[in-house]
Amino acid sequence: MLVKKKKGIFQEFYLVEILKGLYITFKNLFFARKVTLQYPEERRNYSERFRGVHYIKATNGVENCTACMLCPTVCPAECIHIEAGERADKEKYPIRFEIDVLRCCFCGMCEEACPKDAIKLSSIYEMSTTYREVYDKSFLLEQRGNK
Amino acid sequence: MPKCIIDGREVEFKPGEKIIEVAKRVGSVIPYFCYHPGLTVVAQCRMCAVEIEKMPKLQTACSTPATEGMVIHTKSPKTLQNQKATMEFLLINHPLDCPICDKSGECDLQDYSFDHGDAYSRYTEERRTYLDLDMGPVIKKNMNRCIHCTRCIRFGSEIAGIHEMVAVKRGNYTEITTIDGLPLQTGYAGNYADICPTGSLGLKDFRFKKRVWFLKKTPSVCEGCSTGCNLEIHQEDNVIYRCVPRENLEINRYWLCDEGRFNFNYLHDKDRIIHPTLFQDGAGQVSEWKEAFNLSKKTLAVQKTVILVGSDLTQEEGRLLQQFLPEHFPKADVYHFGTPGISSSAQDDSEDQILKRKSKTSNLHGFEKLGFKSFPGFPKGCQAVLVIRGGRAILPDLKGIPAVGLGVFSQSQASSFVAVLPGTAFAEKDGTVMNYQGVEQKLRQAILPPGQCKVLSEILMMWTHQKSSFGAA
Repeated sequence: MLVKKKKGIFQEFYLVEILKGLYITFKNLFFARKVTLQYPEERRNYSERFRGVHYIKATNGVENCTACMLCPTVCPAECIHIEAGERADKEKYPIRFEIDVLRCCFCGMCEEACPKDAIKLSSIYEMSTTYREVYDKSFLLEQRGNK
Repeated sequence: MPKCIIDGREVEFKPGEKIIEVAKRVGSVIPYFCYHPGLTVVAQCRMCAVEIEKMPKLQTACSTPATEGMVIHTKSPKTLQNQKATMEFLLINHPLDCPICDKSGECDLQDYSFDHGDAYSRYTEERRTYLDLDMGPVIKKNMNRCIHCTRCIRFGSEIAGIHEMVAVKRGNYTEITTIDGLPLQTGYAGNYADICPTGSLGLKDFRFKKRVWFLKKTPSVCEGCSTGCNLEIHQEDNVIYRCVPRENLEINRYWLCDEGRFNFNYLHDKDRIIHPTLFQDGAGQVSEWKEAFNLSKKTLAVQKTVILVGSDLTQEEGRLLQQFLPEHFPKADVYHFGTPGISSSAQDDSEDQILKRKSKTSNLHGFEKLGFKSFPGFPKGCQAVLVIRGGRAILPDLKGIPAVGLGVFSQSQASSFVAVLPGTAFAEKDGTVMNYQGVEQKLRQAILPPGQCKVLSEILMMWTHQKSSFGAA
């Protein structure tokens, strides 16, 4: 049920309310701590566990990935596409490893599922492009993280 | 019927039945590796040992026949302790390469390790490793993963009829290999990969193609010969990755020959014609349905036409053609064809006394039942041929007679044709086929037809309704 609040003349006048509001405005304007970052010059420090651009970890120049397909299995966005193959120095390796980054929701479940410690999410968050990007294997093999 | 008690439940059984089978029937699942219902029992893996009252030691359920009044415990602490110990023993030398192994996802060792094994290994010594020899074009061996269940050895000597796998050396050094390291000879080698409880023997054809948990399974029937083995088509995203046998004790039991197993490969052949195609001087030109129909009708509108119907089509398609052909080609001779030299069911014998039969099409017996006549050779003065087939019937020599193909053809097969109307193969349609025993079985559609391929009924319907677009000729 709608209850009508009875207001006196003083409240109807609103001036006091306006002054109250302006008090908060000016308090924040002049005295509060600034939260805006001057982005390209200033950077925010994110947690170590931040999930950014993917990469595949390599040991001695050889990718850790064995194309076991656990990451495409677990991926809720179905954005990982792997094709497995065989070569002389590695029984099973990914011929093709693609991440459709527009579909990726950065949940990090691929990283969690990986038995070989291969797929990682680095702390890099600058990944805007002017085209629809799909990360291919050569891009993912750049070691851009410290995890 | 005698009765025994399994896990407190009274169970009836036939005399001579083994405990493992009786228990399976009532839902008390006993884990096993070396036992296989289609092979002899060796009781080697010790995984199925169960506790039986009044017996001092655990007994292997796969080799102990159930007897009247027997009291069996499949979940007692002693049994579970044995399962855990056996798992630990089998996993001592097993490499931890499930991410690479193609068996993972359907691996007995993996499943039981998850169910009965320990999460940690106490083993610190170096694992036993082997060098693998090549085993021919079908099977890839990885001896490191082997648990010495000897199913493959028994399969070779008992089912495939060739004792080519042996266990050499003893104890910890036992190695399963072919005699003298020769490649596998049998035409049933694919079954080695099916019965192997680990990833030790795997199909080369399926190697690294797909993880098994992605595959969608459709029960169907093999179209490789008139045996009609039951198989399961495994596909994902309209691509068939493999076919595996499906149990049918009256026809193929648990097995499938390599010919039938790898037969599906022609479906994804790059050479397959998947669009209506017109041929000029042996070169195919993709065209529209309308043009292909017009040219086909023009080609077939002659005095003497022979219509060849492949006996790899289903009963339904055969019946449909029996209605369609007399109406549209009243003067044409209609014959069935399939395998050269095998024109009737009387000639269709067993090829190797195991599964394969001489008729290399699935429905020869069904077509005889429908009343199709066998192809005797082209009559004199034959001016045009219409060939209707699935992908399996072997084309006879057309002797330069203008031909129209309807069904599955490859570019090289159809190079002398006038036009090809693309049809569907066995995994792309539903239907019934009749095998040599007279058993009618269902083919089920596993994948969608590629390109512009259509099922026969649809093509015939278009053929009929396009009639008006074709002028007097």
